[in-house]
Amino acid sequence: MTVRVAITGMGSLSGLGQGVEPTWKALISGESGVRPIARQFMNVPAYAYEGPAAVIEKLDTSAIEAKYGARVLAHLDPFSVYASIATFEAMEQAGLLDHPALADRTAIIYGVGSGGNTTIEETYVRLFDKKASSVHPLSIPKYMVSAAASQLSLMLGVRGVAFTIASACASSGHAISEGMHMLRAGRVDVAIVGGGEAPITYGGWLSWKAVRAMSSTACRPFSIGRDGMILGEGAATLILENWAHAEARGAKILGEVIGSGSSSDAFHITQPQGEGAVKAMRAALADAGVAVETPLLISSHGTGTELNDKTEAQALRTVFGEALKTDLVIATKSAHGHLFGGAGAIELILGVLALQHRIAPPILNYLGPDPECDVPLVLGEAKPIDYEVLLSNSFAFGGLNSVIMARRV
Amino acid sequence: MAITADDVLTIISEEVPIDRAKLDPAATLESLDIASLDMISVMFALEDKFGVVIEQDDVKDAKTLQDFVDVVQAKAGA
Repeated sequence: MTVRVAITGMGSLSGLGQGVEPTWKALISGESGVRPIARQFMNVPAYAYEGPAAVIEKLDTSAIEAKYGARVLAHLDPFSVYASIATFEAMEQAGLLDHPALADRTAIIYGVGSGGNTTIEETYVRLFDKKASSVHPLSIPKYMVSAAASQLSLMLGVRGVAFTIASACASSGHAISEGMHMLRAGRVDVAIVGGGEAPITYGGWLSWKAVRAMSSTACRPFSIGRDGMILGEGAATLILENWAHAEARGAKILGEVIGSGSSSDAFHITQPQGEGAVKAMRAALADAGVAVETPLLISSHGTGTELNDKTEAQALRTVFGEALKTDLVIATKSAHGHLFGGAGAIELILGVLALQHRIAPPILNYLGPDPECDVPLVLGEAKPIDYEVLLSNSFAFGGLNSVIMARRV
Repeated sequence: MAITADDVLTIISEEVPIDRAKLDPAATLESLDIASLDMISVMFALEDKFGVVIEQDDVKDAKTLQDFVDVVQAKAGA
């Protein structure tokens, strides 16, 4: 018997807001979390950077500190702080804090692209700039790419399997997929999945600029005149649960993860190739048992880069053909920026909310149609919809692709 | 730069972190549940903010907050 995979909790934190509900409200109101920033890393004038970004300006840590004490977020890189806050929200909603299932029937699979950029840079500033001969003993515990997974396990008391998945912008997509498969295989009853990133540092900023993937104005998915992505930060977590386990404890089921598909382009370290995206979407449809004719809400990867959007649009046309007319494409990175390790998770959450509320959020900053991106888009204002099934794309640098499918309940 | 006892206690409260009001100079680090790793963070912050370099060996005998403050002030004045 196939195990059905319920979503029983969701949490998110991004430039668009803290908490799933405020984030959703901002999103459907057409608000943007992107604003101009001008920063100096470590208050050093030489390390100045500025431009548009979706940054977290304030953080309410009162609830998590009330539960676990004032030191729960001490000695963490920001990416682990974000992961903690998003996961606490999701676990609280699921009603699983302090639950007996955490002892050994719960997995943590967390997506992170690069780890503790802030800590790495502070460490190297100390070595190379201040010429110090020693570094902080917590450098590695803070910046290791698995730090967030460890922090979640420590904080929640999860003693089952826990690890990090790193596949750049598809990290949390892959984490959700593997969590679903662990539940299907009967290895666990609960899987805490998602991802997070804190990439907005001096080095991070210049590195993304160097790849020429960053916009100097706005994220305009599938639009003419698009010129790149906008950096975001934050985290998003879903609690996936064995359906029978969730029902038995009377949990509220928010949605169902019905399938996933993954693939690798084997093509280029930065350029996407449509064939990999096509393969991942077809695998997800097959896994979920959903026909291409089924009307779908599609939460696109939609980064706003020239290459991603035209490749993704072409892949969508290849997979769905004429049936694409009955689908609708959203691209929420235009509002919350690119969360890298957290992108797949926040976009799946917002897609599930769109199914639930029967409203599709608008794509922001659209200037006009690009013939190479001819897919049905939600433009202008939020649009009433009535889709039952969601397909959510994550296509990473280096050609690592993950597609998740979910259903309204 | 002169470092006051208040400067040191403020950095301890920020780095540990711990409520500033709990930091009675006569209290022992142990009674406040302040671990040696926490104090290393404090030492790094003191170096960043005041340029005073304190080695772990310098504070190995410090039991109370006042002991620690005394070491910091002695190093800063040296």
